[in-house]
Amino acid sequence: MQETIVIGVIGSDCHAVGNKILENVFARAGFNVINLGVMVSQDEYIDAAIETNAQAILISSIYGHGEIDCIGMRDRCTERGLDGIPLFVGGNLVIGKREFKDVEVIFKGMGFDRVFGPDVDLQHVVDCLHLDIAAYRREHQAVEAAA
Amino acid sequence: MKTVSIDIGSTWTKGALFEVGDRDLQLLKRTVSPTTVQHLADGFFQVLNALLDDDNAIERIRSGEITLNYSSSAKGGLAVAALGLVPSITLESARVAAYSAGAKITQVFAYRMNRSDIRALEDNPPDILLFAGGTDGGHFDTICHNASLLAASKLDCSIVYAGNRAVQDEVTDLLGQKDLVVVENVLPALDQQNPDPAREAMRSIFLSRIVKGKGLDEIIAATGSEPVPTPYAVYEFTRHIQEHVPGWHDFMLLDMGGATTDVYSSHDQCPPPGAVQRGLPEPLIKRTVEGDLGMRVSAEAASETGEALIAEHLAHDPAQIAAFHEYVEKVTAEPDYLPQDSQGKRFDTLLAGACAAYACERHAGRSTQVYTLEGTVDVQTGRDLTSVKKVIGSGGWLANSKEFDVGNWIRERKVDSKGKTVLLPSTVEYYRDEQYLFPLLANVARNYPEAAAFTGVALLAQS
Repeated sequence: MQETIVIGVIGSDCHAVGNKILENVFARAGFNVINLGVMVSQDEYIDAAIETNAQAILISSIYGHGEIDCIGMRDRCTERGLDGIPLFVGGNLVIGKREFKDVEVIFKGMGFDRVFGPDVDLQHVVDCLHLDIAAYRREHQAVEAAA
Repeated sequence: MKTVSIDIGSTWTKGALFEVGDRDLQLLKRTVSPTTVQHLADGFFQVLNALLDDDNAIERIRSGEITLNYSSSAKGGLAVAALGLVPSITLESARVAAYSAGAKITQVFAYRMNRSDIRALEDNPPDILLFAGGTDGGHFDTICHNASLLAASKLDCSIVYAGNRAVQDEVTDLLGQKDLVVVENVLPALDQQNPDPAREAMRSIFLSRIVKGKGLDEIIAATGSEPVPTPYAVYEFTRHIQEHVPGWHDFMLLDMGGATTDVYSSHDQCPPPGAVQRGLPEPLIKRTVEGDLGMRVSAEAASETGEALIAEHLAHDPAQIAAFHEYVEKVTAEPDYLPQDSQGKRFDTLLAGACAAYACERHAGRSTQVYTLEGTVDVQTGRDLTSVKKVIGSGGWLANSKEFDVGNWIRERKVDSKGKTVLLPSTVEYYRDEQYLFPLLANVARNYPEAAAFTGVALLAQS
């Protein structure tokens, strides 16, 4: 079955090229890609994920303000009924030269499941998507069975 | 060839007889009579007989010698409750579809319904419940949850299901006992609105089931001709003008009545360079209705909505504010009241200004400037009407008000209460439907779209 994922560039970031590349790669990998384009707000990702029954949200950011833009995203998802939905974030996420592992700690602390740097191999992202979506489905079914 | 058009309004039944020419219509006769709310057919036939002045009027219509088209907004018009999933997505698509079908929206619901939502529907049943939610292949549990609640309810109105196609069967199984019609999704994908199948279903339900309750079936039986909701006809008329009249691809039409203000616009949206468009795609023709903006029945609500604007206009003489509210109370109680003195006329103008300004503001989209590393970017949502110039005013009050220019009032709402730029025309060429013929021509357009569109535009008075 084809999995639906929501992608887009968050905040006031209008870098469109990388976004198109991501759309292309994920579509070729077999996903139904809902691409919201650039300058996407947290609620727009969540609204789109609800309507399309998406299995993951992927946020990109290049312009350095990703940290501010992403604060509260996990809580907002939970609050709006998307408990446990896989949340990925990637790109050039913070200002200045910081070690990637420090950046990863910040974003994982914010509730993101996967954090990627600007030079990640996108095949690796695709593999992680399959893995995490499968886990999310299992958990979802377990919750439903218990109910 | 002669053609008759009749519009059964909530207070007046208006009619006109036209001679149909090659490319235009000539008005031969018009008449008006009080709407007979207890029995709509009485008022209708009074108007028809007055227009044709002939004992064989009905025979001439049935034989096709004279064509007849009519519309009705009497007895509450077409009342639709809209149900969607996310308010800004499928609920918004459901609203767009319902408005395009000529409905007024009486209630809206989003996400999971609960018992009190169901009670609200049972206590105030609409003519039709438009049930949307989920893109095709998208969200489904909330849809099925809402369908089960509706199935167990006492609601017996028609239900149009225009949600996620993936659960059409489940919804049909759950709601099979109700009066259910299943159509294509109003939003099959996030970037694709599809209002027409739901619109057509609502039009057909209006005809097959709702006209009977309103007593219009008797007119159908006698004349062999079928009505549409008045705003449905005007919506189509907007499309015909856009299609047929050169120079009228982009325009707005304001129809201001005693109870509501309707705004229609024809415009192909493409975001200007440098702007980023967010939200749902915009249709070519769009209608919105404001139930709290009207000159009489809704005067009280309009004065509350337009409080800031009205206060600003009366700021030079605060004593006038109390007098204004007294006036509003008076006209609400007496919807037929026409002002006799200059003060009353001034207050009507103020009321009309508030209705026009806020109805247009709500119809239009918004723009905000966002600072990015690349400079400022305009982020737009909704309908961008900044490049539209032509605005038509119709409805009894606007038709008769030579001095009134909608453009002056639109300018007052350049920025909304949240500080966002309102995407309304910056320069307005204002046209007045001086003879108040638009609703009647809209009916004629069902048979003679081109001639009716040309005549409508030719009869406009430009201020």
